[in-house]
Amino acid sequence: MASTRNPTSVKIAPGAVVCDESEIFGDVTIATRTVVHPKAKIIAEAGPIIIGENNIIEELTQIVNRTTEKGGNQTVMIIGNNNVFEVGSYVESLKIGDHNVVEAKAHVGRQVELTSGCIIGAACSITSSEVMQENTVIYGADCSRRVQREKPPAQALQIDFLTKILPNYHYLKKPSKAATPQRT
Amino acid sequence: MATLLDVNVVKYLCSCGKWEPLCRLYLCRHCQKLRSGDCVLHEVDSPYCPNCLENMPSSEAKLKKNRCTNCFDCPSCGHTLTTRATSQIVSDAEDPNKSTPKKMYYMACGFCRWTTRDVGISDKPVASGAWEDLENPHSRRIHSLLDFYHQVAQREKADKERKKYVRRRSHLIFAASMDKYGLTSVAAKRKSLLSSVSGISIKENEEVNICSLEPVEAVDDFESLPNSIFTDPLQLEKVSTISQRLASPEFQPAMATDLYPNHKHLLIRRSLRCKECEHNLSKPEFNPLSIKFKIQLIALNHVPEIRFLKPKELPFKKETKVVLTVCNPATYNTKLQLLPLEEETAVNNNTKTELPKKEIVLAPRDDSAIYDDNSQSQHGFKDDTSVVAFRKANKVGIFIKVTPLQQDEDAKVCFWLKHEYRNTTVALPNENQEPQIVWLQHKVVINLGPPHKTK
Repeated sequence: MASTRNPTSVKIAPGAVVCDESEIFGDVTIATRTVVHPKAKIIAEAGPIIIGENNIIEELTQIVNRTTEKGGNQTVMIIGNNNVFEVGSYVESLKIGDHNVVEAKAHVGRQVELTSGCIIGAACSITSSEVMQENTVIYGADCSRRVQREKPPAQALQIDFLTKILPNYHYLKKPSKAATPQRT
Repeated sequence: MATLLDVNVVKYLCSCGKWEPLCRLYLCRHCQKLRSGDCVLHEVDSPYCPNCLENMPSSEAKLKKNRCTNCFDCPSCGHTLTTRATSQIVSDAEDPNKSTPKKMYYMACGFCRWTTRDVGISDKPVASGAWEDLENPHSRRIHSLLDFYHQVAQREKADKERKKYVRRRSHLIFAASMDKYGLTSVAAKRKSLLSSVSGISIKENEEVNICSLEPVEAVDDFESLPNSIFTDPLQLEKVSTISQRLASPEFQPAMATDLYPNHKHLLIRRSLRCKECEHNLSKPEFNPLSIKFKIQLIALNHVPEIRFLKPKELPFKKETKVVLTVCNPATYNTKLQLLPLEEETAVNNNTKTELPKKEIVLAPRDDSAIYDDNSQSQHGFKDDTSVVAFRKANKVGIFIKVTPLQQDEDAKVCFWLKHEYRNTTVALPNENQEPQIVWLQHKVVINLGPPHKTK
């Protein structure tokens, strides 16, 4: 586990925009067209983190594959495509599907599985052990729930904009040559 | 400053006998008394929509059931709905091969992401005004009830009026019987006039009395609950909450799919009026966009504000110096004095307090003084250093000596605050009259917190 704390094992696919000021530790794979803002933290402590395509990981977001106290087996954290992690969100969830939005300052615990189209509202904290139903929206101070009819739209325009703008003001982490996208 | 965070530690006695912090009080400059929100008349100026800021007279608002016609609240969380535009491809009626993009609108909640599409309301071609309301299933019954009670009210009013006439008539008869002053002829004339008038109104009443109302039929048996209620697991996401149901009392949708946008409630602009002299204490400008006031007589603008620096420790039965800071809101020098209370008050004065005996002069408020660093001695007050702790712009720090006498409760200091007040209402502006200077007195109580235990 400790051996994975090696920045060289970060695999970045060509086409992904990963700012150099972001902190990425351990065995992290980032697929193409995913944007990682400066000051985001992706820490693969207990095992690899695999991030899919077209995700936006905003500033001060923490995506952590945390070691449990027992220090048991390696766990793999998989994040799908078209997800948005807004400013200051904290995610430990091991399985995240597609088209999810984790809003600013939200907290998603390790036992939660986000399927697809789920929205965790601003400052909502979800630490239960459950598989979130598709298109669930969690909002408000009491973490009220409802199920939406449609998935939140993909942020293609925003990703295009960020891939154009971010390199003008930030150094980027270079894509690793051998890297191939793990998931498409 | 302890008082900035907790306004309730220093309280002033309102003329209605309630202790309130200064920021919640008004000063009626005609009565020259403090008034609180509880002892003034609240008047409705105009209802307005908090979202689109459209204002309307109260009669119109009543017709619209005090709701805005254009703005909606989210039925799911209560947040204001916003209109979103999308383009839809519409095939041309004349040429099926040709299709043109057309702008369509729907409403969405920015908070819980509820949209009108969620419940199957079709998109509208115009941005506003096309959202038709649901038909209230009980509207006919409600209208018939309203009509009935309207008639009842009319009848009662007529009854009241008739009684009034009867009384007056008897009075006239009494006067006529006396016939001391030779008024009989005048009285008789009036009497005949009155009776004719009241006669008409009574006739009208009799017509009014005839009205029919379908009585409500009592229901004996209900349909029993379907078995699925007991067997199917409850899906919380599909059921609406109590607050969601009660937000639209006429429909009370039980399922989340039946939610429908609610019209936004109007708010009102209100003005405050002194109950004694009936002068306005607070009157906002008519336009809801404006946050200014035509008249605003809050006490903070007229009465010196007292705060205190919390003493490091307040030992029980030991004299401690406490610094009060007094802030002058007026743009002229204000003399003030702190006087002890003679009589017992409602708030227990559980401390022995030594107040400064001399008058203290407060420097005028100068809004530019904060930009001026060395304005300390510009006023040249000669202060007794045993009384005045410091001076800064329009503030002055005053020492008082407090000895807590009760061990277990918060130490409270009560005194009279006596200060000058320049009454500008009496002096007419065209006459070159000096504004009248009056002394106002307010009872003040300061809660210093619990005393420290002494060994």
